[in-house]
Amino acid sequence: MSVEQTDQNVGVGAETYGGVRTEQLWRVRLKLLWNSLRSSWAIFSENPIGMIGLVIIFIFGLMALSHPILMATVWDAATYDPIVGFDYTIDSHPSAPSAAHLLGTDPIGRDVLSQLLYSTSSEFGLGIVAALVTVTIGTSIGAVAAFYGGVIDSVLMRLADLVIMIPSLPLLIVLGAFFELNLLMLAFVIGILSGFGGVTVIIKSQALTIKVKPFIEAARVAGGSDFHIIFTHIVPNLLPLAFLYMMFTVTTAIFSEAVLSFFGLMNIRMSWGIMINLAQSEGYLLRGFEFWWLLFPASIAITLLCAAFYLVGRALDEVVNPRLRKR
Amino acid sequence: MTRFLGRRLIQMLITFLIFQALLYFLLELQPGDFADQFYGNPNITPAARQVLVEDYGLDRPPVERFFLYIFNFWRGNLGISWSEFPRPVGEIIAERLPRTVFLFLSATLVSFWLGFVSGKVLAWNRDTVGEYVATVLGVGLYTVFTPWFALMMILIFGATLGIFPLGKFLNVREWLALGRAYTANQVFGTIILTATLLVAAIIAIGIVTRKMAPVQRNKIRLPGYAAAVGLFLIYWLVIQGPIAGGQDPMLPYARQITWHLILPVLTVTLISYAGTMLLMRNSMLETLSEDYIETAKAKGLPETMIRDKHAARNALLPVVTSLVYGIAFAINGGIVTETIFSWAGLGLTILGAAQEQDIPLAMGTLLIIGGVALVAHLVADILYAYLDPRIRY
Amino acid sequence: MAEAIQQDVKARVHRDKPLVEVSGLKKYFPVSSGIFSRASSFVHAVDDLNFTIMPGQSLGLVGESGCGKTTTGKLLVRLHEPTAGSILMQTEDGDMEDIAHHKGTALRQFRRRTQMIFQDPYESLNPRRTIFDTVAEPLTVQGIGTLTERQERVAALLNECGLTPPEQFMYRFPHELSGGQRQRVAIARALIIDPMFIVADEPTSMLDVSIRIGVMQLMSNLAERFGVSYLYITHDLAVARYMTDQIGVMYLGKMVERADTEELLSNPLHPYTQALLAATPVPDPRLSRDFINIKGGISKPVDPPPRCRFYARCPIADEFCRDNPHPPLEDKGGGHYVACYKVGVAGA
Repeated sequence: MSVEQTDQNVGVGAETYGGVRTEQLWRVRLKLLWNSLRSSWAIFSENPIGMIGLVIIFIFGLMALSHPILMATVWDAATYDPIVGFDYTIDSHPSAPSAAHLLGTDPIGRDVLSQLLYSTSSEFGLGIVAALVTVTIGTSIGAVAAFYGGVIDSVLMRLADLVIMIPSLPLLIVLGAFFELNLLMLAFVIGILSGFGGVTVIIKSQALTIKVKPFIEAARVAGGSDFHIIFTHIVPNLLPLAFLYMMFTVTTAIFSEAVLSFFGLMNIRMSWGIMINLAQSEGYLLRGFEFWWLLFPASIAITLLCAAFYLVGRALDEVVNPRLRKR
Repeated sequence: MTRFLGRRLIQMLITFLIFQALLYFLLELQPGDFADQFYGNPNITPAARQVLVEDYGLDRPPVERFFLYIFNFWRGNLGISWSEFPRPVGEIIAERLPRTVFLFLSATLVSFWLGFVSGKVLAWNRDTVGEYVATVLGVGLYTVFTPWFALMMILIFGATLGIFPLGKFLNVREWLALGRAYTANQVFGTIILTATLLVAAIIAIGIVTRKMAPVQRNKIRLPGYAAAVGLFLIYWLVIQGPIAGGQDPMLPYARQITWHLILPVLTVTLISYAGTMLLMRNSMLETLSEDYIETAKAKGLPETMIRDKHAARNALLPVVTSLVYGIAFAINGGIVTETIFSWAGLGLTILGAAQEQDIPLAMGTLLIIGGVALVAHLVADILYAYLDPRIRY
Repeated sequence: MAEAIQQDVKARVHRDKPLVEVSGLKKYFPVSSGIFSRASSFVHAVDDLNFTIMPGQSLGLVGESGCGKTTTGKLLVRLHEPTAGSILMQTEDGDMEDIAHHKGTALRQFRRRTQMIFQDPYESLNPRRTIFDTVAEPLTVQGIGTLTERQERVAALLNECGLTPPEQFMYRFPHELSGGQRQRVAIARALIIDPMFIVADEPTSMLDVSIRIGVMQLMSNLAERFGVSYLYITHDLAVARYMTDQIGVMYLGKMVERADTEELLSNPLHPYTQALLAATPVPDPRLSRDFINIKGGISKPVDPPPRCRFYARCPIADEFCRDNPHPPLEDKGGGHYVACYKVGVAGA
């Protein structure tokens, strides 16, 4: 053994994780997870684009949190409720921004700022659910198609081609009109569409490179089942890539919801898209500069939040694909 | 090549049939029934209703009904619209398809070319202030909420500056004031035909002279382009224009349509431009770090030659591949734009059909949009094979 | 702990019966020419192999790359399913069992007795799993022991494999370890489930020369202590000499010569073996070997013609070799098997 004495100290850092018998396995795993998050963050935080995106997302997060707090403290429910509120003290609605209504009121007398803040949390919820559905479908289908190949692969990939090629918006319009989608259903539809389409194809090609690694054969020799190999060896290696595509799915989801709501095809009571829809149906759109508070806050919110997730996705792309980093 | 085309066509057909089947059964699943939709419709008489029931096979089991629908579809019978009863769906689509295809095609071509050129220049001038500003603007344009963007175009150029009309395909009052010599589609068809011929001639001249020596090439190209443009102008200004003094010249009508056309085309172009530009910039940046670029620099080649001949051609390949995604994106953008501009194309049709619960029209339109997307992909594939010498089918 | 494992193994193997007995083993890979057309030609990667390995003994497989030695190894651990032939293996009860076409539970049972060490220590460990997860994997998927027992066993085995102190290594990731350390982890993974037979596919070829000998020493020590037999795949005759009791030489899917290690190295009979030996540098400058010239390079055994596989490159081939099928692997005296028409039986 003496031959390799020098070899042994390579890569062994200063800290140790304590004795095997004294430390619980889950605590060790938590520590390891924390460490890996910290090192990923170190790479990510060097990227100004990603940081801008993250700051915007953080601000929207604060906005989402502030609504229930404001409703409970300074805002009176009858006046400021985003859906049924009405301000009787003002003669005609929509009214321009004032001290009482920082972003004015909409054509039926509701506070625009309250609507804007109220909608933020549902946009986040929609985006997160859609992204989770996408990743679940994308990674499992991609891993299964790559692992088994053959007929299963061909069928799944033809399906993916179909989903990629068919434009999503007209399909969503038709679905929205005939099924009265609510937020959760929309999240699932978008998650399924993007999960079955482009994300699956990209994740599958990544899975193909993992499938041929010797550690897959090693797991098989150890007696691992197909299920074990797919879900403990292939999928964990796909997750960084999947995480990246989650960000783009969030963008798609928020955008699609806004467009469908704007067309009046969503079965929900309030969202940024619905705010613009109301401005349109009440005929204020072509006077959009005059009644800017009806059009601009919601539109800018949609644009900014979509852009933020897109920027984070681009930055993650550079973390996951080191060849894109600045040389 | 023929074998490749044949295989791709069959693949396309299968993809389309799967799409059709999925869509059909999806709509079967919707709450209520086909029949319910037109029992309440006051436009449809009991006799007409009976005909419809037989046409759609509503008295038969779903699978049989499905095959009846597919059979009818491929014979060109897409059913009767319920919201515009009794116009056949096929007729409505035939009227509006050219408008959408024109919007989509011109915007895609222009935005692709612009995106290619500007992405190339941006990557070449990396880390300058101009590049930074342009990239930020590109990201902004790429993620902007498209309905808002389209609306801003109208608000700025239409409502505030008054340069362009506020949307619609044409202004009915002005149109009627010109006389009623032509229908809108006749004029629009002529515009499309002449414009297509012009573009085709220019592309053909470009391809034919591609392999020639630069001096000789320029000798042929410039007069060729001039001749094509000249013919186009002669047709519109002389034959259809006031100069020849013929009866009912088409030019004023064409002017009316073109006037309405500019803003929507510009909007869709800008929406799909940003994606191509950002992608081209990234792809170009990657290519510029390749060894053969260093070699080209070491050889002392002129910078523009390195940029355009060595780097850009290779950087273009992934951008063409991304057309596959870009096409769906452009169609989505086109639909939003159509609705904002009240541009009576397929996008506005599908939205109207959806809002009116007009299943035959919605389904027919959606299928045709899907078909357009599939054809566009085929073209992108062929283009890719043409550009990448490593791929020969 | 380790003592217990050792006792356990030693007790259960029938030393008078072969551990592995391979006969007529074949693996043909189709040369694909499309999804719908059936393959018309096949690569004869492994063609009619016969050998036995006795308990406690190790067999070396040597040959150029592409000769089918890795495929043979993967057949024996059933990463591939044989096209034909049988692989008899001794079970825990001392019975011989044909595992060539095992599936499901039977295959999983078999995996408790046979393990594999891979060539590339950088690719054979999952980069996202800790050393503990990797080493304990055979136990985990087979459902052996509680978590605490597994932790203890992994720690003990890492210690045995020279990764001391084990608690410093258990919760690290492969990228934090050197090549030699990783290969020790791979050895620990192969041994954790207490197998009787291990296929080692060039386990030291990717390591720096300076640490090779340490890993080889470890492997032979552990083999002795745990009573494990190796099928040791290598292209390096010096390594084979150190690690094995018998050597089989493979050429284009066929075994052309097999004998006890010392016998084969001192008295190579097949022209291919002679050429291989001649290609190994001799450290003593006063000694010189006859240089044996073989023509050309190794090809792929796609639908090979029915004659000696070595015919095209053989320096001593004649018309008889050309007109007759591949020669059988015959005992030319004293358990020295050679597949060559031109080699006479010793003493005959």
